[in-house]
Amino acid sequence: MSVDMNTTPNLPAGERARVPLSQRLGGLGGNARQYGIFGALVVIILLFQVLTDGKLLLANNVASLFQQNAYVMILAIGMVMVIVAGHIDLSVGSVVAFVGGIVALSMRDLDLPWAVAILIGLAAGALVGAWQGFWVAYIGIPAFIVTLAGMLVFRGLALVLVGETVAGLPPEFISIAGGSLPNVLGFVGNADVVTLVIGAVAFLALAFTQVRARQSMRKHNLHAEPVGVFITKLVLVALGIGALTVILSFSAGGTPIVLVIVGVLVVVYSFLMGRTVFGRHIYAIGGNRAAAALSGVSTKRVDFWIFVNIGVLAAVAAIVTTSRAGAAIAAAGQNYELDAIAACFIGGAAVTGGIGRISGAIVGALIMGVLNMGLSIMAVDPAWQQAIKGLVLLLAVAFDLLNKRRAGTR
Amino acid sequence: MSDEARVPLLAMRGITMRFGAVEALVDVDLEVHAHEVVALVGDNGAGKSTLAKMISGVLQPDAGIIEIDGEPVTVPTPQAAAALGVATVFQDLALCENLDVTSNLFLGRELRSRWVRDDGQMEEVARRILRSLSSRIPSVRSPLSTLSKGQRQSVAIARTLIGSPRIVVLDEPTAALSVVQTAEVLTHIEQLRNLGLAVVLISHNMTDVRAVADRIEVLRHGRNNGSLDVATSSYEEVIAAITGAPTEPRPAQHAPLRSSTTAWPA
Repeated sequence: MSVDMNTTPNLPAGERARVPLSQRLGGLGGNARQYGIFGALVVIILLFQVLTDGKLLLANNVASLFQQNAYVMILAIGMVMVIVAGHIDLSVGSVVAFVGGIVALSMRDLDLPWAVAILIGLAAGALVGAWQGFWVAYIGIPAFIVTLAGMLVFRGLALVLVGETVAGLPPEFISIAGGSLPNVLGFVGNADVVTLVIGAVAFLALAFTQVRARQSMRKHNLHAEPVGVFITKLVLVALGIGALTVILSFSAGGTPIVLVIVGVLVVVYSFLMGRTVFGRHIYAIGGNRAAAALSGVSTKRVDFWIFVNIGVLAAVAAIVTTSRAGAAIAAAGQNYELDAIAACFIGGAAVTGGIGRISGAIVGALIMGVLNMGLSIMAVDPAWQQAIKGLVLLLAVAFDLLNKRRAGTR
Repeated sequence: MSDEARVPLLAMRGITMRFGAVEALVDVDLEVHAHEVVALVGDNGAGKSTLAKMISGVLQPDAGIIEIDGEPVTVPTPQAAAALGVATVFQDLALCENLDVTSNLFLGRELRSRWVRDDGQMEEVARRILRSLSSRIPSVRSPLSTLSKGQRQSVAIARTLIGSPRIVVLDEPTAALSVVQTAEVLTHIEQLRNLGLAVVLISHNMTDVRAVADRIEVLRHGRNNGSLDVATSSYEEVIAAITGAPTEPRPAQHAPLRSSTTAWPA
């Protein structure tokens, strides 16, 4: 065939010239949308910093921002995986109440140590997830229906289990949500050294993995991003982590324990979604379920395990929520599923599945959290807070859609 | 390069298949050698896709034998077909729009080093394969959603080369493609032949078939209705075999459209 074939395809130089900017940004380790959402978070933080006369970023406010919103971030991690696979989970709020009841009762009525109670709670979450995953994956009932049923079932079970508030929980358990890492290294000025060390280690670990990834791209002769961009990125990350570290080190307790929990979860799940075959298969299923199945992806197994996973994460959220409330109540976790879903969509997940990232969901949760806190400091009526959050969700998704339409990719 | 006296890479003999009372295929034979493109043509419902699905393990024949490299085989699943060295490009592209080119090529067959995907290795192989097909996809990191239909078809064809297959089945690979895109896909098919594969090409498009195929096998009402050498048969003869009409002698206004690069005598 005598078509004007380009005889030297896929050479990096030619590639760079032909690939549109949006895709080249994609090579920066995310997509342009990701940077947009980080930018939006920074803008919202600065906006409220001004509107609240600098109260938003007071050390103790930042610490409680994480303590108040840890449950959203934990649930959003599981939810974004479910959404990427093309499902939804409406039951997490009820599961939080149900598992919270189990954990509290194991401690108070069965007199089990708090660590054992936590393990029981995680196992219960996994069982709940396996139950829902079974119906979705192996029977083929849409997740919307299964988890809508789950929302009713587990709220009902929570009401049965926690007839009246279960209080009087051990102080160790209470300190999970409210406590901070012990100040074993003393202070520099007023700054908690443990927090500073954690911040430094976190940055070094991140920088190390980035440099390693870059070296591996080089080794395989692949087109890595320009050095300038790479260094700019590292500097921006260093500034972000540095600012957060310094602010937190001046807070009453230093590093909140829940921040450590969330941080570990983010690292583990970003790795799972970004670097493992399982993660790739979740994206593939969300993109084209039939194609994934024809290609040899065991779609049922993947579906099952993402529901087991969100069950376990809902249990973690239940532990944090119960610990924060100091007691288990049947009404716990109301609307948590909506918070988590909103965080995912603000964070760039696609309603149709196949697109979404852990980091995006976390940033989405933080945007909602900052909005909550900023508006509360400004003493805005809670009714209006709700309305404003709704509009932000709508605008975020509309912005995303218009962007895609302009790019012509969807 | 002569076919005679060589064992065909793929041989199907006496294939019969019924869907209820409908006889989809009756006693059909098909042989494909290495370094050969065999076009399977026929009108709608002639049984082309049914035959192809048996090679790729989606359907099982009621009667007849399939031999690969002279060995009788059964192909119960697509996975079994892959293990036997059969790769298929299905009519409705089995690709994930949200993933990039490399991810699609290796979907379900990802390379790993310990716990982690070996993305670097996969990307390297992806580039090599696309280059071997003379594909002009801008970047192996492009999401499929940013590629044209023709480029996606290139990816689908490149996919068949992961895992070193010996037989490639293409079901209507040029349907709904533009002229340029069709030309590119046909080039890929020639490359597959040059790589020494046996290619089964199902198509409605006689121009495409005559451009790349070495031999045309005609199916009509689920039966063999002629095996034609592309170099020596006329367009009318092929149409006549497909429709069952008697051949009319007419001026050769549809001269064979074979290009100079397809210099493979059948």
